[in-house]
Amino acid sequence: MSSAVLYRLALRALQRRILQGALFVFSIVAGVALVVGVDVAADSARRAFSLSIASLQGNATHEIVGGPSGVPTSLYRTLRVDLGIRSAAPAIQGTVRASQGEVVLTLLGIDPFAESQMRAYLGSSPAGGANAVSGQALLRLLTEPNTVLVTEAVATRLGVQPGDRFELTTAQKRDTFTLVGILRPWNDLSAQALSALVITDIAAAQDFIGSPGTLSRIDLLLANDLQVARIREALPAGVVLRAVASNRETLQQLSGSFILNLQALSLLALVVGVFLVYNIMSFSVVQRRIQLGMLRAIGATRRQVFFTILVEALVFGVAGTLLGLACGYLLGGFLVDAVTRTITDVYYRVEVQALTISSLTIAKGVVAGFIASLGAGLIPAVNATRISAASALRSADAEQATRARVDVAAAVGVMLLAAGLILTQFQEQSLVFGFGVLFFVLMGCILLTPVALLFSMHAVQYVSGRIFGTLGAMAPRAIVRSLSRTGVAVAALALAVSVIVGVSVMIASFRSTVTTWLDDALTADVFISAPASGLLESEIVDPKLAERLAAVPGVAQVLTARDVAALAPDYPELPPVNLVAVSQDLAERSRRYLWLSVPRAEVWDAMQNGAIVVTESFAYRRHITPEANSLTLLTDRGPQSLPVVGVYQHYGSDQGIVLMADSVYRGKFNDPWVSSFALFLTSETDTEALLERVRQVVANQGLTVQSTRELRAEVFTIFDRAFSITAALRSLAAVVAFIGILSALMALQLDQRRTFGTMRALGLTGAQLWRLTLLETGLMGLAAGLFALPIGLVLAKILIDVINVRAFGWTFTFHVPPSAMLQAVIIALAAALLAGAYPAWRVARLAPAEAIRYE
Amino acid sequence: MNRPRLSNKLLFPLLLVAVVVVPALGLIWVSGRTAELIGAETEILPPQFSSDGFARAVEPWQWDFPRDHGPHPSFQTEWWYYTGNLTTVSGRRFGFQFTIFRRGLTPEQSASAGEWHANQIYMAHFSLSDIAGGTFHQDERFSRGAVGLAGAEALPRYRVWVEDWSVHALDDSARHVRIQARSEGFAIDLELTSVKPPAFHGVNGLSAKGREPGNASYYYSLSRLKTAGTVAIGDKEFTVSGTSWMDREFGTSALSAGAVGWDWFAVQLSDGRDLMVGQIRQQDGGVEPVFGGLLVLPDGSTRYLDAGSFSIVPLGSWQSKRSGATYPAGWEISVSLGDAELQLTLEPLLADQEIVGSVTYWEGAVRVSGDAAGYGYAELTGYARPLRGLF
Repeated sequence: MSSAVLYRLALRALQRRILQGALFVFSIVAGVALVVGVDVAADSARRAFSLSIASLQGNATHEIVGGPSGVPTSLYRTLRVDLGIRSAAPAIQGTVRASQGEVVLTLLGIDPFAESQMRAYLGSSPAGGANAVSGQALLRLLTEPNTVLVTEAVATRLGVQPGDRFELTTAQKRDTFTLVGILRPWNDLSAQALSALVITDIAAAQDFIGSPGTLSRIDLLLANDLQVARIREALPAGVVLRAVASNRETLQQLSGSFILNLQALSLLALVVGVFLVYNIMSFSVVQRRIQLGMLRAIGATRRQVFFTILVEALVFGVAGTLLGLACGYLLGGFLVDAVTRTITDVYYRVEVQALTISSLTIAKGVVAGFIASLGAGLIPAVNATRISAASALRSADAEQATRARVDVAAAVGVMLLAAGLILTQFQEQSLVFGFGVLFFVLMGCILLTPVALLFSMHAVQYVSGRIFGTLGAMAPRAIVRSLSRTGVAVAALALAVSVIVGVSVMIASFRSTVTTWLDDALTADVFISAPASGLLESEIVDPKLAERLAAVPGVAQVLTARDVAALAPDYPELPPVNLVAVSQDLAERSRRYLWLSVPRAEVWDAMQNGAIVVTESFAYRRHITPEANSLTLLTDRGPQSLPVVGVYQHYGSDQGIVLMADSVYRGKFNDPWVSSFALFLTSETDTEALLERVRQVVANQGLTVQSTRELRAEVFTIFDRAFSITAALRSLAAVVAFIGILSALMALQLDQRRTFGTMRALGLTGAQLWRLTLLETGLMGLAAGLFALPIGLVLAKILIDVINVRAFGWTFTFHVPPSAMLQAVIIALAAALLAGAYPAWRVARLAPAEAIRYE
Repeated sequence: MNRPRLSNKLLFPLLLVAVVVVPALGLIWVSGRTAELIGAETEILPPQFSSDGFARAVEPWQWDFPRDHGPHPSFQTEWWYYTGNLTTVSGRRFGFQFTIFRRGLTPEQSASAGEWHANQIYMAHFSLSDIAGGTFHQDERFSRGAVGLAGAEALPRYRVWVEDWSVHALDDSARHVRIQARSEGFAIDLELTSVKPPAFHGVNGLSAKGREPGNASYYYSLSRLKTAGTVAIGDKEFTVSGTSWMDREFGTSALSAGAVGWDWFAVQLSDGRDLMVGQIRQQDGGVEPVFGGLLVLPDGSTRYLDAGSFSIVPLGSWQSKRSGATYPAGWEISVSLGDAELQLTLEPLLADQEIVGSVTYWEGAVRVSGDAAGYGYAELTGYARPLRGLF
């Protein structure tokens, strides 16, 4: 028999069931789009960050960086004059604001004479020869005070043209700069890279954002290890030479966990999508049962039937994948804002100018789409080959086989669960491993759903029979009878709802823990700080301001904090250490310690003698325990090993914090600056009035003055923003599940067509049939909702205890909001009832004669 | 004798600094670049330069050494110009040029400025001619006079440097100096001892360049420096000795147009005399008449030579494959000393001693024969393109 005939038949079947085809395509589109969208958003953010580093460091292979006090200028002189290292360029870099603080830019101070090999955009075009004009621009940087170069895009944003003057501000200063030239990027990539950059001469940069005698960094282009070794020998205490590439990777890691979490969520959505496709393909096979049986009778081989079904799945799969790629790119556009916003809030400043879709992302989407459609089509295709001419007219056969498969699925489910639970016992810190556990446990639970449905429907038929009479008893039995479809539908819905439950409980737990922590941590009344510019840069604030603040009436006490990035030579693969030096521990009494090796009352004394305390996530990432309790920091006096006397809970940074006494810090680092102030007020002070007075004191300094209440609100704004994508993905999972249940129910009702026809012929009214259908779907929804609760809680538990610990090093208290549980059941029930409405409506209008025609 | 004299040796470095330093900033970014990830062209407003506020060479200078070996920042332009001929024991010959230029951006450094603020830009040219090897090596450097990257000082001892290229005194009087420079594949490390006192050009070192007062510079030479040390080509190091010439000049000048380029010669003769002669070639093919030379006698006393007292006749030519420029090669120089004639033939030790960098010129070692034998240096400018168009 010609396969072409079979494909033509398949095509005709497709034309008749256009809705079904659309659903198939939609589920693939949804799954692929999510995978691709998250990838596009993450890649774009990563790329933008990479480009911004590249724009700042150019072709540099190595860099010399220091801790809080930077790199001494004298080292640069030593490199050039004493060692004759020519491929070295000094840089002074910092965050500045323009347009009344609206536009955040990176000010990069360079020495034009040192740039020949380093930052190519400061030179001429690669195609052309000499470009003396750029030399003149650089000479103007060199010879005229406060002159800058920016790209056209930045000039437009600032509303300036060459020759115009404009103001830049930092937390400390404000000054007027003259735009003397426009950097003309060679291509879009350059334009992106330079999109937030202001180039100035190093002398101007030092006056404005630097400290005397200090560089931010020395960029190097080193050809061989010999040069590296020669430079290493010349390095003074407190600075290190490292490869730019490895540093770039380390910085990328900062947001790695966050992005991996998103990717895992998108994969979850794809899994839901696979269930859906499986449903639809099964449905399609059931619908064509008689036709397939006939084909077999007239000579089609099993092989031909198998491939007909598989090719059908593939055709849908290709359409869905292609559309999914396009939708994913669009979705990426929406997600990227949220992603970069959070990365900027929590990790480092990044601005995405253009979406990036890598070939890897496309490959991922294609593979995901194909595996999903083929994998989901495989079982229905095998089922189709089992249809013989004789059995085509008997539905029960299929269901008997299903019963056997339910048992197999349950057995596999138990094994997966066991495997997942065993995996949790390993101390492995990898996040991918954590997600492995998550998927094992989740799949195990889902595979157990059909058997759970079987038993619960057996149990429930007596109860529902009591309540709803004969129809009530019939509905559960009908569900059991069509277990091949109801089982999958309930599993898909349970999966989707459990994701909702799990993620909601995780977020709620996190939020309640953060609330408690903030209550403990924010003991001062007013906080004054420079606007956050990410983990990697700290702004400098004049410590003399403390005296002026103390003089403000109503202020009882002023504490200072210095927030810097320090280097821990023992952990070169991790980002720099966020070191906070405080003049007094403002949360001394309320801090929650996981462990302390000195009595609680003596912690501050120990700190003043050089000990440090670190946060939970810091300790987790560096395996600091009561036994392994020291940390080596690179100070201006060389590497120094500091005893860690305690580990405390802190949710302000997932990279963790090292807390040090200010007096100790000043002894180790040549750093005169502070970063922020905490004010305690006298008891009778009116906070609002005081805020006004304080704001006057720090006026024109670019400092943010916040009451505890405002700071709290800001923390939660950032928190909610960080979880907004998670919440959005959660909703998308719900939509996918809804479509899934709709198609499953349609399949179910179609399967029961003849049964319903017979019932109608036997005297059941349309309204009764309508009720029966809704009862059935309602029961399924309820079952799915109830199954989803324990699965969701297990999911939340894994998210909190396995995933979050690995991703962020945080532990938090399990907090189950009852409303979330109720909500989940309602969502499942509502989705099922809504999805059942259309099939029920069709069933009710069924003409008995037509329905039983084949009997 | 009071006729204003224009030293070609003066003019060239002035041009070099005025014309080269400014656009060369652009050129130095061009070299050695491949297609890179990030690039941009720059569109800018031209910089505003001014000589306002700088002192001008009007009155004769009160010379004081070693102080005057150091910088004179109240003048805009200044240089330290060393050239020399060297030979190994076995007779292998080398020539070198080592020059540091200073250009003042502003006459006064603002008091509150940070360490990177510079009102001086330094540029250095370094070349080495390997006569037997038939190769010519060259390099150039720029730096701001800040944070110790480049500078010039007379106290505690004379020292001028641009990064790791430097000349510094080995004694307080700065009679003995050491020049160290290393570039990719070639290097020098030489000790120089002056055997004659400074020889002053013009009127006691006030060397006028035009008829307007102040259009002049202060100019002296150390015409005979006994030199010993090492030169390196690639991995090979050679112990050498020989004789060098040093030119020192500072001033603040607005150059007049008209000159296409110039030919300059400084030679040390085996009879103990040293001679500097030169000519400025003009647009119309003529030679600038307001021009002179200097003869330094074995005892250090000097004798001025006005333009009419010598002639320079090219004998051949050489065309550069790199720049396409055709330079004269070999000269017949006749100097009338009143009581005697001095007939000299100069021939380049190496045909290609062309500097191609931020500016293109020929600066190379020459052999002298005729009435007296010797070695020296020649400098030929304006052959690649007229310098006139550059300023």
